Amino acid sequence: MADQKHRILMVSDFFFPNFGGVESHIYYLSQCLLKLGHKVVVMTHAYGNRSGVRYMTGGLKVYYVPWRPFLMQNTLPTVYGTLPIVRTILVREKISLVHGHQAFSTLCHEALMHARTMGYKVVFTDHSLYGFADIGSIHMNKVLQFTLADVSQAICVSHTSKENTVLRSGLPPEKVFMIPNAVDTAMFKPAPERLGNDEIIIVVISRLVYRKGADLLVEVIPEICHLYPNVRFIVGGDGPKRVRLEEMREKHSLQDRVEMLGSVPHAHVRSVLISGHIFLNSSLTEAFCIAILEAASCGLLTVSTRVGGVPEVLPEDMIVLAEPDPSDMVRATGKAISLLPNIDPQQMHNRMKKLYNWHDVAKRTEIVYDRALKCPDQNLLERLSRYLSCGSWAGKIFCFVMIIDFLLWRLLQLWQPTEEIEEVPEFTLPHHQDEEIISNFNKDQSLG
Amino acid sequence: MDNIISESLLRPKWRKVAYGGMQPGFDDNHTDESFLEDMVMNASVVKRDLLKVMQDSVSISQYLCIVTLVSLVWARTLQSTLDENSLLLLDASLFGSVTVTLVMLHLFLHDYSGSTIKAPVALKNPSLTSCVSLNASVVASVFIASRLPSRLHVFAIMLFSLQVFLFAPFVTYCIKKFSFRLHLLFSFGLMAVTLALVYTLHHLLFMLLLGLLVFISVVCPCWLIRIQEYKFEINGPWDEAKLCFNVTD
Repeated sequence: MADQKHRILMVSDFFFPNFGGVESHIYYLSQCLLKLGHKVVVMTHAYGNRSGVRYMTGGLKVYYVPWRPFLMQNTLPTVYGTLPIVRTILVREKISLVHGHQAFSTLCHEALMHARTMGYKVVFTDHSLYGFADIGSIHMNKVLQFTLADVSQAICVSHTSKENTVLRSGLPPEKVFMIPNAVDTAMFKPAPERLGNDEIIIVVISRLVYRKGADLLVEVIPEICHLYPNVRFIVGGDGPKRVRLEEMREKHSLQDRVEMLGSVPHAHVRSVLISGHIFLNSSLTEAFCIAILEAASCGLLTVSTRVGGVPEVLPEDMIVLAEPDPSDMVRATGKAISLLPNIDPQQMHNRMKKLYNWHDVAKRTEIVYDRALKCPDQNLLERLSRYLSCGSWAGKIFCFVMIIDFLLWRLLQLWQPTEEIEEVPEFTLPHHQDEEIISNFNKDQSLG
Repeated sequence: MDNIISESLLRPKWRKVAYGGMQPGFDDNHTDESFLEDMVMNASVVKRDLLKVMQDSVSISQYLCIVTLVSLVWARTLQSTLDENSLLLLDASLFGSVTVTLVMLHLFLHDYSGSTIKAPVALKNPSLTSCVSLNASVVASVFIASRLPSRLHVFAIMLFSLQVFLFAPFVTYCIKKFSFRLHLLFSFGLMAVTLALVYTLHHLLFMLLLGLLVFISVVCPCWLIRIQEYKFEINGPWDEAKLCFNVTD
């Protein structure tokens, strides 16, 4: 069973040329699965004039479905609008399993729903955390419950994320796997020469928004500059809170000690990281935080707030954790500065190589796929009973939505029989060099 | 037996960490007793006291009475200045329903715990809903004023409405701060006066207002206390951290 090759469709609203944790997760996972001999196709919505079918490194085929995003890179939720194109792609590519990513991607929810209607096995990966208190979260949690009611297996990126997903969706914990993100250690190498220790440089790279704790930075930076005269800050990233940081810099006359870079393209992140000793992460919520991995891979000691999945990400001696409160963060930064002489960036990098690896992530995901395909097939009535148990009102609405979807699918089958949809011809790319595939992400980006 | 013990000793313990790849001997869906151990349930749930809730609800009844009084003044003015025929001629139903909707919107979104008008040094800005509420009340007054025959009428009714809608919450807020007993006394006096005035105008409206006041001050508090039992709050490490200082943009 283990050597069975799958044909996987990855679905998410978030993919290259957009940039972030979900996007790189899908890209690296697909690349590694391709190398394991599976067939992978990605489906996302059109970005600008990037519409239609494109090929990326390693023969990764991407369908940019011509649906325009309307809010925060999300497509307009139409519930049934994507059924025809999802069906065509599934049949054309002879897909055996659909893998959706990210809870607030509408495309992902719709595709998973249609795939289940058509009897495919589906896997879902959750990349984010949600509370239970506000209206937005309550709505999101209901949508997630709907999608996950019938999902074959689910994956979360950290144990905290798994607990959160289980609570939100009511899935049995045995159906939820914890498979973390990883980091491309070949791309994030430490500086060839060790930096001197007379001046200590603290690097911050994050979007400057409330959720990333930009307000904490405003309190912490002047305090640290006051306490440690040999510390300098480099702040990369842009966002609505940038004005506040610049105000703080002016107010405390720290222009020569706090450098603001503005937004840093992902390809330049490494060059910013290796100019510093300490990486400071001030997020208020975080399911996993790939930025910490990138920093650690570059040999930086990390200081981070103890939120969400962050405490699980690195061994205790590679990270200094602090409560999300300015005084404790100053204390943690002081501790990190005192630890610095014992930190060898190269050694740190070598440890990271052992701790995180995308190939390992792909192998673990493969196991989840095998499990998903072993799940018994269910007919519509069996599946409807699951939806019905989602709530007194919601359950009935969910059932109604699924019945309509089923009828539409049958209608489509009459209108365009499956046999009439052309299947894509198979072809294999000449074999690639190992490192080349992975480190080509940036080349892809610049080709954009 | 010995075998099992030595095996469990050899077998590394499962740790709740994300690094280091798959933990030997455990699947990725492994769940042990540490699952959800950091979850806190109903941590910040306040035990509510029926009497306290009823006392607090008086503020709402009081403001409802103030708005009713203003509406009475509007109705009287319209009655005295326009004869029955012209009232009917103006597509009264639409006009009336828009005004009533606006007043209801005003009541629904009104900030009953404070006042939208504040001293200039106030720390917190008024919320969006309280501003919308205030605007709805002003628009409703303009609607009424648009039906009046002379400039003097318009000026008088606009000034009166604005004064009440802007300053009544402020005055009641100050009274409440000064003395809670006075606040209760004032509120009950206001309710009595309003009920009496409405009684002279229309008996059905009187019953409606009385019913509404009983509903707000007696039924709703009891209801709240009863459904309080079903309150279920979940907190845990996945919650967004709250900043312990004020952010002033």
